[in-house]
Amino acid sequence: MAYSEKVVDHYNNPRNVGSFTKDTPGVGTGLVGAPECGDVMKLQIKVNLDTGMIEDAKFKTFGCGSAIASSSLATEWLKGKTVDEAAKIKNTDIVNELKLPPVKIHCSVLAEDAIKAALADYREKHAPADARASSE
Amino acid sequence: MDHFEVFGLPRRLGIDAAELQRKFYELSRRGHPDFHQGALPERQAEILEASARLNAAYRALRDPIGRIEYLVRLEEGRDTREGATVKPKAPPELLEEMFEIQESLQEAQSSSQPGGLEAGARATLAAHRERLLARHQKEEHRLRGPLSEAWDSGGAAERADVITAFKEALAARAYLRTVIDDIDEALGEVREGYVSHRRH
Repeated sequence: MAYSEKVVDHYNNPRNVGSFTKDTPGVGTGLVGAPECGDVMKLQIKVNLDTGMIEDAKFKTFGCGSAIASSSLATEWLKGKTVDEAAKIKNTDIVNELKLPPVKIHCSVLAEDAIKAALADYREKHAPADARASSE
Repeated sequence: MDHFEVFGLPRRLGIDAAELQRKFYELSRRGHPDFHQGALPERQAEILEASARLNAAYRALRDPIGRIEYLVRLEEGRDTREGATVKPKAPPELLEEMFEIQESLQEAQSSSQPGGLEAGARATLAAHRERLLARHQKEEHRLRGPLSEAWDSGGAAERADVITAFKEALAARAYLRTVIDDIDEALGEVREGYVSHRRH
């Protein structure tokens, strides 16, 4: 199958590969898998606790070129966004940017799942004390 | 017409392989395009279509696991494996474990010598592989045995649960299989009778 130029670029030069220590303050971790193909993807965000901005993001994906490219692109998009803005990233945005063919759409879904999981993990660990108090 | 209907079969998983093959040959002979060369063009097109449908149905049903994958798609009204409405939840431990093995595999590869992986790393990976293969087999036995039987004997309510269980077992199998394939590739080994399913 022919990959688009952007997929090949991310595959050959993946951005932000690596990981943060899970327990570092501000870090949210998402680990997800694609049952269709068995790919696994870990995506992490590091939020600046003063500004609420995602200042860094990292990923590690064991999967096909499209899965690697989708997560690589996702980490680029995450940086500089707030947690709420990051939640708006949709798999269709990734499909359009990378020109993924229909059989690879699940790779972009995986990346969106990973973002959501990382954000949820961050929120769970860092729910502001006052928000926690007010919801009780 | 779904693939079961092509063979005049109910939507059941307990299909005798020899019987299916016999039916396939019989239907193939009867509908082979070569026997209908004198027919009208319109009829010939129909015959060709039926022949293609028969081949597709046989491919989908002959392997017991493939049959389950097809059944799940059919029950969910999908044509392809893309677009599952509800994704099966993978146990987090399984994903963690697969991820960790993949990481150790990657480390072994990056510290390998021109001659290949270090002996210690090879042994560790081979041990992982044996363990994962045993689990992979267990998932397949569960799919082909108790779960398939539960589908065949269950009513509508049980069947909905069986579909969920099928999806989970198929997903677990896919995760295991992917890592097994990757280890095999790293070790430079290909096993007989085991078809790699991946990847690009």
